[in-house]
Amino acid sequence: MQRLWSYMIRYRGRYAIGLVCLLATGSLAMAVPYLLKRAVDTIAAGGSQATVGWLAVSIVAIALTQSIVRTCSRFLIFNVGRDIEYDLRNDLFAHLERLPLAYYQTQQTGDLMSRLVNDITAVRLLLGVGFLNLINTPIYYLWAVPIMASMDWRLTLASLVPYPLVLLVVKRTSRQLMERTLKTQEGLAAMSSRVQENLSGIHVVQAYVREQAEVAAFARLNADFSAQNMALAKVRGIIMPVMRAVSTLGTLVVLWLGGLRVIAGELSLGDLVAFIGYLHILAWPTMALGWMLSILQRGRAALQRLETIFQAVPAIDDRLAAPLSEPLRGAITFRDVDFAYDTKPTPRRVLRDVDLTLPAGATLAVVGRTGSGKTSLVQLLPRLFEATSGGVEIDGRDVRTLPLATLRSAIGYVPQDPFLFSRSIRDNIRFGAPEADDASVCRVAGIAALDRDIAELPRGYDTVVGERGITLSGGQKQRVTLARALLVDPTILILDDALSSVDTETERRILSELRGVMHERTSILIAHRISTVMAADVIVVLDQGRVVEIGDHQELLARDGFYADLFRRQRLAEELEAL
Amino acid sequence: MSAATRPPKITRLRPRRAVSAESLKQALDPHREEALGKAYDARLIRRLWGFIRPYRGIFWLSVICLPLNATCMLTQPYLLKLAIDGYVTAGDASGLGRIGLFYVAAIIGECTFFYAQYYLTMLVAQRSLADLRVQVFAHVQRLPMSYFDRNPIGRLVTRLTSDVDVLNEMFAAGAMTIFMDVLTMAGIVLIMVSIDARLALASLVVMPVLVLGINFFRLAARRTYREIRERIARLNAYLQEALSGMMIVQLFARERRCFDEFDELNDDHREANHWSNIYEAALFSMVEALASISGAIMVWYASGDILAGVIAFGTLVAFLEYIQRFFIPIREFSTKYAVMQSAMASAERVFQLLDTPPAIASPVPAYAPASMRGTIEFDHVWFAYKGEDYVLRDVSFTVNAGEKIAIVGATGSGKTSLIKLLSRFYDVSRGAVRVDGVDVREWDLQALRRRIGVVLQDVFLFSGDVAGNISLGRPEVTTATIEAVARRVNAWDFIQNLPGKLDEKLRERGSNLSTGQRQLLAFARALAYDPAILVLDEATSSVDTETEMLIQDALTTLMRDRTALVIAHRLSTIEHSDRIVVLHHGVVREIGSHLELIAMRGIYHRLYELQYALADDTAAAS
Repeated sequence: MQRLWSYMIRYRGRYAIGLVCLLATGSLAMAVPYLLKRAVDTIAAGGSQATVGWLAVSIVAIALTQSIVRTCSRFLIFNVGRDIEYDLRNDLFAHLERLPLAYYQTQQTGDLMSRLVNDITAVRLLLGVGFLNLINTPIYYLWAVPIMASMDWRLTLASLVPYPLVLLVVKRTSRQLMERTLKTQEGLAAMSSRVQENLSGIHVVQAYVREQAEVAAFARLNADFSAQNMALAKVRGIIMPVMRAVSTLGTLVVLWLGGLRVIAGELSLGDLVAFIGYLHILAWPTMALGWMLSILQRGRAALQRLETIFQAVPAIDDRLAAPLSEPLRGAITFRDVDFAYDTKPTPRRVLRDVDLTLPAGATLAVVGRTGSGKTSLVQLLPRLFEATSGGVEIDGRDVRTLPLATLRSAIGYVPQDPFLFSRSIRDNIRFGAPEADDASVCRVAGIAALDRDIAELPRGYDTVVGERGITLSGGQKQRVTLARALLVDPTILILDDALSSVDTETERRILSELRGVMHERTSILIAHRISTVMAADVIVVLDQGRVVEIGDHQELLARDGFYADLFRRQRLAEELEAL
Repeated sequence: MSAATRPPKITRLRPRRAVSAESLKQALDPHREEALGKAYDARLIRRLWGFIRPYRGIFWLSVICLPLNATCMLTQPYLLKLAIDGYVTAGDASGLGRIGLFYVAAIIGECTFFYAQYYLTMLVAQRSLADLRVQVFAHVQRLPMSYFDRNPIGRLVTRLTSDVDVLNEMFAAGAMTIFMDVLTMAGIVLIMVSIDARLALASLVVMPVLVLGINFFRLAARRTYREIRERIARLNAYLQEALSGMMIVQLFARERRCFDEFDELNDDHREANHWSNIYEAALFSMVEALASISGAIMVWYASGDILAGVIAFGTLVAFLEYIQRFFIPIREFSTKYAVMQSAMASAERVFQLLDTPPAIASPVPAYAPASMRGTIEFDHVWFAYKGEDYVLRDVSFTVNAGEKIAIVGATGSGKTSLIKLLSRFYDVSRGAVRVDGVDVREWDLQALRRRIGVVLQDVFLFSGDVAGNISLGRPEVTTATIEAVARRVNAWDFIQNLPGKLDEKLRERGSNLSTGQRQLLAFARALAYDPAILVLDEATSSVDTETEMLIQDALTTLMRDRTALVIAHRLSTIEHSDRIVVLHHGVVREIGSHLELIAMRGIYHRLYELQYALADDTAAAS
């Protein structure tokens, strides 16, 4: 809640004006039934139509004034709700941008999204419509009850008896309403993920003729969802009738008890009309208050969930960083590096005692089985993760002492999984260097052997690649990510098995183009094909997180270990075919 | 306040409108609305009616409740009038109790009919929308692969879930009763006129202003509501993508720029909402004011008549009540309007999807033999994904039953397209693909696919257990069969090592299995299917040597005793095949055995040399 205050205080000016407008609206509202009473009493007393006319004119004037202040009160307060929603969303986004990769590995994007969408909505409702009604209802009661009591306090009590009931019923039902709404949201989510999966695997579904079974499975979830919706409807449908019943019940009490008192001459006909008017005025705020109490509950819960995102600490602390006097050259040292993923209950160790030195401009190749720690090793460089112990150094400086932005812009990382954004190819390539001109974009596209593919696309570089690059082939996506990394003109280039979906011929073309680029910078290649790695200055074989072999191609062949084995197998296959 | 709880200062520093990203916004639009944001579209309502029709009994029952509800509600002010004129002003307390009882009855009736109406409407809504969802889902199952190439899955999921849910909201928020509201209001006018026509006219003198105001609101809000929907969709699409790609954002130190882009989308969304808040506040306040003004005019007008003794007090009170009730539905107008508008937009999109023809379907009558021999014939096949951009040109070759064919060629040579034509994932542009001598387009689609086992490069696993992923839920595949096939494709060992064995739950897309294990599971799945023809796109991704051996061995088992069409990447696979088809830029350039093709010294030889030369080349450089 503390965070909420800090947001609300930013808008205290508009909240205050909104509040004043609310007060004015409420006060003006009170005058209308009173003026009606006066009119009725005037008529009953046989007064003139002109007097009634003046009263009517006053009502019109009040109504017009009220419509202005009411408009102001509503849009001021609701807009503040939207403003805080906007601030909150921006702040969350900025915070999320600072959270480390480890955070995203433990969180499902879907969960985060639902928090960012549903919880922010809940908070906004609390600050807008919730705030308005929490203030509004007391204002109405504080005015209406004394006025009514001044006319007839016993009738006031009697006619208001049903109202606390409204409050209770509405509060209870709206809690049920929210619980059931949540249920249906979960049902919808379950159905969504089912559909998502079905469509992702539609080729399997169709190839294995599983359509009908899939429809049957979907129909079951669908039936559940319908039942949840029906359960929700049962509660939702009750609110309006209860509300109507109770407010008309008040009218009935006034008519009956009040009628008797008029007959007895203890109450004027005008009082009776005024009573009915005040009950009308109080009906909505009473119901709204019940509703708001549950909005308040829900808003608080939502706020707590959002707070857990805010509490997630950006693991990377940039405070120790000192600016650099000269650009990085790219000499890399791993000094006794241990690394473990912070998994529960026991951390999973993936790197042990890694010691490596790579001079600036050299090429390092990393080979090893799946899961041997290759990717983790290179991810320590741009500080996607931090070494558990030991140090990773560039140009003799621990990466933790380098400003993060400087460090990362010096590294061109091509990840295993080619993630593209749903934008044009040009914008994807320029992702790390948005100001780059077309000539540079074409140049890197050429190195990544993309030029021919792009020429064949309908809109060339302006082709939008669709969600996650849906319109491109796996190889094309990998090559776009390569071009993207090259465009930032990195001091250190990292290719994490980045050409796995590219065919041999294209790979050869890329590697020969890359050779020119790699001469000028430090490069790290993770690959499975010997042909890709054999030219590297240093080749490292990782096994269960340990460096088990290190040296150049010839040295490793001489060592007759994993590398030599790999080499022989690949050669053997080729030679067998050569028969 | 600690550092972690303080909102980051970055929001205060933003350069306004630094990024004018119109192209970004276009790229992000998951469902642009072509229609202008109509709140009522007779064509769409008629189609929806098609889904309500099966439940029309309940539907009409719910419709009947509406006038009953209105009658009970509109009786109440009249009872007030009777009470005041007949008893209160007459000083007669005797009949008040009786009228009170009538009043109570009217309240109970009103509430009961209201609830009944809502309940029945929702019953109809749930049933017909469930039908709609199943129909859309079943329809999507039949859509051709070309459709999924063009449409991101997320968008289709939205059609089936959120869009249909918006229709649900239309019923739930009582937006459908917007028409009935008009009737209720007409009823009020009718009653007022029948009590006193001139007084009714005086009460409704503000009507033109009301109509003008609502119309103005409708026009202003139409665009704004549509903008809000588009902008929130865009904002969330951006957010979703940023979260999934956060590693890339951070690696390329792009946080600031992404924040600015997000900020702009966020701001656009806020702005649209600001406007809608202003319109709604104005409409709401206007309606409230008009209700009071209308009452005031009526009282003034009535006072003359009462003083002249033409009408009684009760009429005035009843009119005050009627005026109140007249304005109730209008207060909810803005909410219902917004709901109706988005419902129409959603309905439009859902029906559009439903109208997409399943371009590939079984013909009538279809060829559906009990078994398949497994001969394949590509007869002058031309194929393009779109237009004249052919990826296969005049491809012709035949495969005998039981023969194993390896297809080789560089990326983009048309290999994958070729195998996709066989199961009719796509239809040829020209020529014909025949299985057992019959054009695949004449086959019953299910009979054809039932006999062709497809294993694609990227193995798709469903969430669920291992056994289910092998049997794919076919009841005829017993646990014994699953074990047998798993053993034969060398998958049994690793399955035994899983904590839950065959019952081990696979995480999303089988992320708890290695690439090799996923391959073996796909083989087991295909073997359990026992097809006459095996179509396989060999995975290129590398696995460790041991797994590699297991896979190769499994592959041999899998291909035994059936026709096999394999896009081969492993030389060993090529070696085990009877013939090799070399594709080059969509054209079959060479066909023959490995030795024949090597001897030809053509493209195959070059492809083969390339692999060899590449290794040699780099070896020389080191």
